[in-house]
Amino acid sequence: MLKIENLHASVGDAEILKGLSLDVPAGEVHAVMGPNGSGKSTLSHTLAGRDDYEVTEGSATFDGEDLLELSPDERSAKGLFLSFQHPMEIPGVATLNFIRTALNAQRRARGEEEMSAAEFLKSSRARAKLVGLDETKLKRPFNVGFSGGEKKRMEMLQMAMFEPRLCLMDETDSGLDIDALKMVGDVVNELRGPSRAFLVITHYQRLLNYIKPDRVHVLADGRIVKSGGPELAAELEQSGYDQFIEAA
Amino acid sequence: MSQSLLINPTALESGIEAAFLARAGISEASRDAFARFAQTGLPNRRVEGWRWSDFSAGGRAPDAANDGVATADHVLFAEADFVRIEIKGGAIETPAEEINGLALSVEPAASLPQAFDSHPLAALNAAFTDHVLVLRVAPGAKLEKPIHIRHAFAGDEPQATRVHIDIGEGATATIIETYQGYGAFYSALGSANIDAKATLTRYVLNDTHSRSIIHGAFQADLHQEAHLGGVSLSTGAALARHETTLDCVRGAASCDIKSAALVDGVRHSDFTSLVRFAGPDCETRQTHKGVARDKGRNVFQGKFLVERPAQKTDAQMRADALLLSDMADANHKPELEIYADDVECAHGSACGALDEDALFYMRQRGLDLGEARALLIAAFVGDVIDDIEDEAVQVAFRQIIDAWLGQS
Repeated sequence: MLKIENLHASVGDAEILKGLSLDVPAGEVHAVMGPNGSGKSTLSHTLAGRDDYEVTEGSATFDGEDLLELSPDERSAKGLFLSFQHPMEIPGVATLNFIRTALNAQRRARGEEEMSAAEFLKSSRARAKLVGLDETKLKRPFNVGFSGGEKKRMEMLQMAMFEPRLCLMDETDSGLDIDALKMVGDVVNELRGPSRAFLVITHYQRLLNYIKPDRVHVLADGRIVKSGGPELAAELEQSGYDQFIEAA
Repeated sequence: MSQSLLINPTALESGIEAAFLARAGISEASRDAFARFAQTGLPNRRVEGWRWSDFSAGGRAPDAANDGVATADHVLFAEADFVRIEIKGGAIETPAEEINGLALSVEPAASLPQAFDSHPLAALNAAFTDHVLVLRVAPGAKLEKPIHIRHAFAGDEPQATRVHIDIGEGATATIIETYQGYGAFYSALGSANIDAKATLTRYVLNDTHSRSIIHGAFQADLHQEAHLGGVSLSTGAALARHETTLDCVRGAASCDIKSAALVDGVRHSDFTSLVRFAGPDCETRQTHKGVARDKGRNVFQGKFLVERPAQKTDAQMRADALLLSDMADANHKPELEIYADDVECAHGSACGALDEDALFYMRQRGLDLGEARALLIAAFVGDVIDDIEDEAVQVAFRQIIDAWLGQS
């Protein structure tokens, strides 16, 4: 589903990704683990199409289509979802209006029928319950005054609403308490299916107690330096990242 | 041709003078007023308070892409159940039916207190109009229907209007003034006396042709516990300036004034205001939002003047500007002048571009760049529009904003 080959990406003059290759087939959950500054967020933002991340070499395809040629909204309409590490507060933009506008923009781009107001309301209420977000929060401006945990719940709510085919989760676990971690696990496990893939980016093994990954990759100095099964996450928790930083 | 009364007149001033002299049956009072105007001419950039809005030079000429739009043909609020007063080409049309609690009349301008004596455009206004539309709301009356005063411009002739509103003690009224069409030079002076415990809600909508030059000034006296609220929205013009002067002459008066300007092409919008506090315990909230793209220019000048007796004044001013292109301009001048020692007064102003992080976030969720920008701009202006109580007014304001966003 997602195929990245020899990806080099820079921010300004600094090259952050230095030949990253990764293959995430449909139906699988892959975890990318790495220390601070290894390029985890650069990877997620580059895949989502952020302007200030410049791809200088390599390729990334989504179902065989060149991802790097597409605008962020086109990538979104293809089914790519990024759960942000630091979700935005958008004052003045009503939460439900924003999510519905976005959902229907994606649907229009795919040539699908727009979701009716009634169907949307029903769906958003059910998803709010799933992610443990009080319904009154949905009536507020987007993320304004939300705690860090509530913002992550809002990310999961959108992931559940949009039903993307490729979910990039950029340190979704950062700043979450145990209940919220479990909620993230519940959402991912509910969405897991043969036609959907997840790339879970994290520092720690703890989220992987709730989301069993099919593969674990170690990212250090802009490259995948080791890949393995779920046991690799536990090994990292024991031994740390130092060996990989030195090797990189 | 007779010698110009003006000293080194600009093209705009010469045009105004020619139009004045071409008028039939000019009264002695009008000639005197024009002679007074001629001594100073139109205010220019060297006059304090006018340096960003040089009326003597006139506005910038729009290029073809941004020329036109906003004619007077489309009547705003045509469907709404409002009391409609139309001012077109200087002629005032008032409704035939009686409105309980409201007296409408057209009177000689000389009968009014001279609210604008020191204003640099007052003499010019008096030269072009010698009558005044007077609205008197009886004490205690609660006018159910909003009153819509429609300023419909009519071409190359300079035009002037003068309106006075008197809100009796404890009365309540809503007045909506709209400016539409093409006017080579349009001067609108409005004054109000808001008696004790009376409330005036005033909405102003300026959506005119790109070549129009408009000057509107409104002055109100607020008495004990009087309240003035309202929202103004402008899409600018070649030159559009809306001035508001509020005099809280007695204690515990309150003002809640909001304004927004959306300018593109080479349009210019100027919101200039002065709130003067002379009595104690007054409260004012002022919010302005300016959005400019292309070479559009937004000017905001706001001042709170707190005189010595005005203890316990609570006044907050906020003016923010959004610049959507490198060539767009925002000139903001928030000011406080305080002579009382026990007050809470503050002002704040910020200027910036759209938040790139928010834009990326919204695009990641599926909105294209245009949709994401429009949503953020609408949110920025929303602070000013969201609380409009009259539904028809809120809808009309949103339509103007949506139309403006749709052109981006």
